Amino acid sequence: MKLKKILQKDVEKLLGEAAKKWQTYVPSKNDEGDTLFAILPKEKDELEKALQRVNLKDDWVAISPKEIFFPQVENMFSFDKERITEEIETSKKLIFGIRPCDLKGVLFADEFFKRNLEDIYYLSRIEDRLIVTIGCNTPPRKEACFCTSANTGPFAKEGFDLELVDAGNYYLVEVGSVKGEEFINLYSAFFEDAGDDEAEKLNSIESDAKEAINVKVDFDKALEIMKGDKDLTENYKRIGERCIYCGGCVYTCPSCTCFNVFDDKLGDNGVRRRNWDTCVFRGYTREASGHNPRDEKWTRTARRYEHKLKYDYSVTGTSGCIACGRCLSSCPVNIGMSKFIEEITTNKRNM
Amino acid sequence: MKKILTTCIYCGCGCGLYLNEDRGLLTGAYPSVKHPVSKGGLCVKGWNCHEFVNKMDRLTHPLIKENGKFRKATWSEAIELIAKKFKAISSESGPDSLAFLSSAKTTNEENYLMMKLARAVFKTNNVDHCARLCHASTVAGLAATFGSGAMTNSINEFEEADCFLITGSDTTSQHPLIGSRIINSVIDRGAKLLIVDPRKIELSKYATVHAQQKNGTDVAWINGMMHVIISEGLEDRAYIEERTEGFEELKELVKDYTPEYVEQITTIPKNKLIEAARIYATTKKAMLVYSMGITQHTTGVDNVKSLANLAMLTGHVGFLSTGVNPLRGQNNVQGACDLGALANVYSGYQKVTDADKREKFEKAWGVEGLPGNIGLTVTEIISALANKKVRGLYIVGENPMISDPDQNHVRECLEKGEFIVVQDLFMTETACFADVVLPGASFAEKDGTFTNTERRCERIRKVIDPPGEAKADWEILCDVARACGYKGMDYKDPSGIMEEIRVVTPIYGGMKYDRLEPHGLQWPCLDENHPGTPYLHKDKFAKGKGSFMPRPYKEPVEFPDEEFNFILSTGRVYWHWHTRTLTGRTTTLERESPVPYVEINSEDAKELSIRNRARVKVTSRRGSIELVADISDKVVKGSCFIPFHFREAAANVLTINAVDPIAKIPEYKVCAVKVEKL
Amino acid sequence: MKNEYLPYKVTIASIQKESFDTNTYKVVFDDEKTRDSFDYRQGQFAEISILGVGEAPISITSSPSRKGYLEFSIRAAGSLTNKIHEMKVGDSLYVRGPYGNSFPYEETKGKNIYFIAGGIGLPPLRSLINMTMDNRSDFGHIKILYGSKTPDELCFKQELDEWKKVENTEVWLIVDKPCDGWGCSIGVVTELWKDTDIHPKNAVAFVCGPPIMIKFVVQKLTQSGFKDKDIIMTLERYMKCGIGKCGHCNVGEKFVCVDGPVFTYEEIKKIPSREKVI
Repeated sequence: MKLKKILQKDVEKLLGEAAKKWQTYVPSKNDEGDTLFAILPKEKDELEKALQRVNLKDDWVAISPKEIFFPQVENMFSFDKERITEEIETSKKLIFGIRPCDLKGVLFADEFFKRNLEDIYYLSRIEDRLIVTIGCNTPPRKEACFCTSANTGPFAKEGFDLELVDAGNYYLVEVGSVKGEEFINLYSAFFEDAGDDEAEKLNSIESDAKEAINVKVDFDKALEIMKGDKDLTENYKRIGERCIYCGGCVYTCPSCTCFNVFDDKLGDNGVRRRNWDTCVFRGYTREASGHNPRDEKWTRTARRYEHKLKYDYSVTGTSGCIACGRCLSSCPVNIGMSKFIEEITTNKRNM
Repeated sequence: MKKILTTCIYCGCGCGLYLNEDRGLLTGAYPSVKHPVSKGGLCVKGWNCHEFVNKMDRLTHPLIKENGKFRKATWSEAIELIAKKFKAISSESGPDSLAFLSSAKTTNEENYLMMKLARAVFKTNNVDHCARLCHASTVAGLAATFGSGAMTNSINEFEEADCFLITGSDTTSQHPLIGSRIINSVIDRGAKLLIVDPRKIELSKYATVHAQQKNGTDVAWINGMMHVIISEGLEDRAYIEERTEGFEELKELVKDYTPEYVEQITTIPKNKLIEAARIYATTKKAMLVYSMGITQHTTGVDNVKSLANLAMLTGHVGFLSTGVNPLRGQNNVQGACDLGALANVYSGYQKVTDADKREKFEKAWGVEGLPGNIGLTVTEIISALANKKVRGLYIVGENPMISDPDQNHVRECLEKGEFIVVQDLFMTETACFADVVLPGASFAEKDGTFTNTERRCERIRKVIDPPGEAKADWEILCDVARACGYKGMDYKDPSGIMEEIRVVTPIYGGMKYDRLEPHGLQWPCLDENHPGTPYLHKDKFAKGKGSFMPRPYKEPVEFPDEEFNFILSTGRVYWHWHTRTLTGRTTTLERESPVPYVEINSEDAKELSIRNRARVKVTSRRGSIELVADISDKVVKGSCFIPFHFREAAANVLTINAVDPIAKIPEYKVCAVKVEKL
Repeated sequence: MKNEYLPYKVTIASIQKESFDTNTYKVVFDDEKTRDSFDYRQGQFAEISILGVGEAPISITSSPSRKGYLEFSIRAAGSLTNKIHEMKVGDSLYVRGPYGNSFPYEETKGKNIYFIAGGIGLPPLRSLINMTMDNRSDFGHIKILYGSKTPDELCFKQELDEWKKVENTEVWLIVDKPCDGWGCSIGVVTELWKDTDIHPKNAVAFVCGPPIMIKFVVQKLTQSGFKDKDIIMTLERYMKCGIGKCGHCNVGEKFVCVDGPVFTYEEIKKIPSREKVI
């Protein structure tokens, strides 16, 4: 389908319409100044208010959109004396305004949860899903975004249904799938064909956007190094010592999917839940016997980097790091993937 | 689905975080990016602070004990019983036969109401809370020297400091988002790090100097540093002249504390002491940081005064990134003190012994005859249960069975307690002894404010409804006041309580709820136009001139002897909070630290043939516990360390209830024990 | 889509004490359809729950050749397994599975087989052992080498006696700390090399036990001339989901729960030694 455009002032109306049909998730700026993903309410007055908060500017959303499909805590099933009742969520979702790197993360997690035996909780949440990405004209996390190094941004190339690119008072709209095309047809009143010169404009916005990314590292070289057997023990040890084990890098990572399972119970009634877990915690691999293969800090640090840059790559053909920089921007002690890559590719200590 | 900004329930950092809600379940917590403390990051406790709220074993109904067993009761039954009993006890034995333990985990508004309930309704100053067990020494010591007993600087100022002197604070474990700022400053900016701590803490590996003093000898090494500074002429003459008083007495006292003499007392090699003294004195932006390792001693107030002396001597108070920073432990222990949940002061540290202040509060509260005697403190209240001096006790959100020293003594007192009310989220070890148990609301289920360690009064916000019939503590306290016939405790919501606080509490004068958006204000905040105060004592000390208060070294009450040959110190771990009521119910945290342990030096372990992870018995004159040995070089030979979180092997079975004469803080950090292989 | 996380109720039909801390639980699915459809292979495991307490992966020790029930040999080692040890015949547990790969079976037919186990390592092998016993003529010579700390800790004592009686089958026992009347060898399992011939020709070795024991046995086997691909072992790793999702058992690029728990030494060698899988 040809490049489309939509006036920025019409996006609100479009979302107002879409919210009736979809469970619509948008980046929403609250009174406290933070931008978070929120569901647009159905009720008219509430919706009007919520639409005012939609924030498609390049703002830092602390948590990646993985939380929509893989919440920090979710019920798996409840039980009583007689039966087990599973809790499955299947709403029709419109994810509007996620960033290209986050899209990579979402797609990565999709594939993971489909691999081997399927994960019903995740897969039922994504069953009916439409994703509209928005390109980053400037990096949301200025000190941390390094998507150009990994080719995961600032604009998405595939995997989206629609992609918006901010072109002043309108967005250029690329169509990435049949579902995206159907969406445009459904709301054709809001969209028009972009002019012939717009494709070129898109290119020039994209090259400016690439220029705007401050952090640049040699990602491919890092993947090569990780593939080989260069001894990085010193790096792992130093980083592992600096780490304060908050788990933030994993919690915020769009492609991290580890979880723990736990029960809660009162009398005969109870619930089994799962919650996000992280490989940087010592108890993550401790066995019932007390034996712990990753007892030493640095072995957990090594695991995290190797998982992202070595094993994910060898198993799936793409790196598990999608270069969003969230690990760095959420780290109280400024440890981050881009810095690690810089260290191992330039032999410069920076952490 | 909701995402609401609130304030973390754990430590005094006061991180801003979002609680996520989905169909009545809290489904997560994550950091606010724009909040000045969290800045997009949290510690592991913050990331997991939602989980306990969901637990199915929350208290959901009032309970009344009958024939030794709890039964479900209605709210009116429970409240009427409390009113009837408390009124009867008070009229039989006088107002001071009642006592109230408030909580540093509840809001400012609730702490204010707790002291109002005690003072206005029941006319007793027997109201106190766990600050008594953590920073009572600070409140007393810094108020005497500086005029204000709080952290002088702000958390973000740690990012600019060039020297940290840290003593008695395992900062990365207990205040992770302050610890992280120290790590960043030291590694990335080359700030100097001086640590004086008997234990090797996480930060020790970055220390320029790590001096390991013998537990309980703090006054000696501080005096020793001052001796070095004065003898080398490194003191800040102009500052001393202009802003302080009493320097000559100090000079006289520290004259004897030569590095050699100090080494004898503290075991700190004299060169280390000299090096640390020089670095601290000669670095302009120097932050002194301390916590329980300084305060929890029978000489707690002396320790704090000595640190204040050291800071004044070098001109290290009253500037950006330069000051004395007692890190407050609980999320709202600063607030609970600020709001007067202490035996000697009303809100804003206005003394109950001051007749003018009493009159002011009588007028504000519409009562007469507010008591002018200083009330009983935490440990005194518990002990007074045994001799019936206190017959009725109302506990909100505290768990003295685990948190107070000498557990066997505490148990005996609670068992003898005539009428005990416990208001909490769960059936705690203490609640088991109660006659009435009331279900409170968690931080996610009510509105209010917490004040963090940097004096930032910030909002918490209601995200979900409390479970069952549970109610916010402030509502329950108002119900009790009403049932007792008092008409001055009717509020529509916590902002109404804050309006009253503003009127009677000068340092909170400008803390109107709408002004606390989005990220709070730091006291003193005197009126509605006041911007708040990022650092204290700018230009002059709160009390005018800062007072040097030289103190001589005194030994702890119980040093090791032949039989009890180890020094025991107690503390916390990164993963748990206090009595584990909340973190023990949090999957990730409990998994990371599931069992009680004692840290023992490897040489001692060898002598006693104790293997790592083997079970050992630790005994003091007060009792013994069995737990796992964690062998390392974190503690020095002859000493051991036990985290006090675990009911299964409660460190406070061992600790001594000797207290500081002024602050009444117990000596959790030094007692004598023996260690045996099992 | 099947919800792999939903467990099914089973009833404990019998409990057999195996050693001082290990019992074998014979369980039967309450629902007949589940009973019939629960097809497993030797070496696979299942997730066992007590609702409200938790879930843990436990290897299935019954042989697929014996239908209608499942057996699990469970050592009391944590909160869940301790609770299971408090249970009686007739009590309910919840089971889901089977999960993981399995021991090679068809490809080992005609070969000489060594089963080498240490302590709680015998239960995961039991399923395969009984399957070979049930089809004894398909295999060559069989040696079972089994060691533990004390005689008390040896599992399946009755079956060990039975296996011993099977034609062309040897059982070698060894303990570190013998009790009075102990008639077998003394030491650790690798010391059995002195007592009996271990020969790689036309042979495969199945090894199971604590990591440290596996490590030494593998060394011995390699020295004896076994090829890496003929040394087959099962790995233990903390795991939650059992289906390759939760991440806990992820080592190198393998998930122990789906790519394992059975691995050849050839595969194990590719995992960094830092991961201490053996």
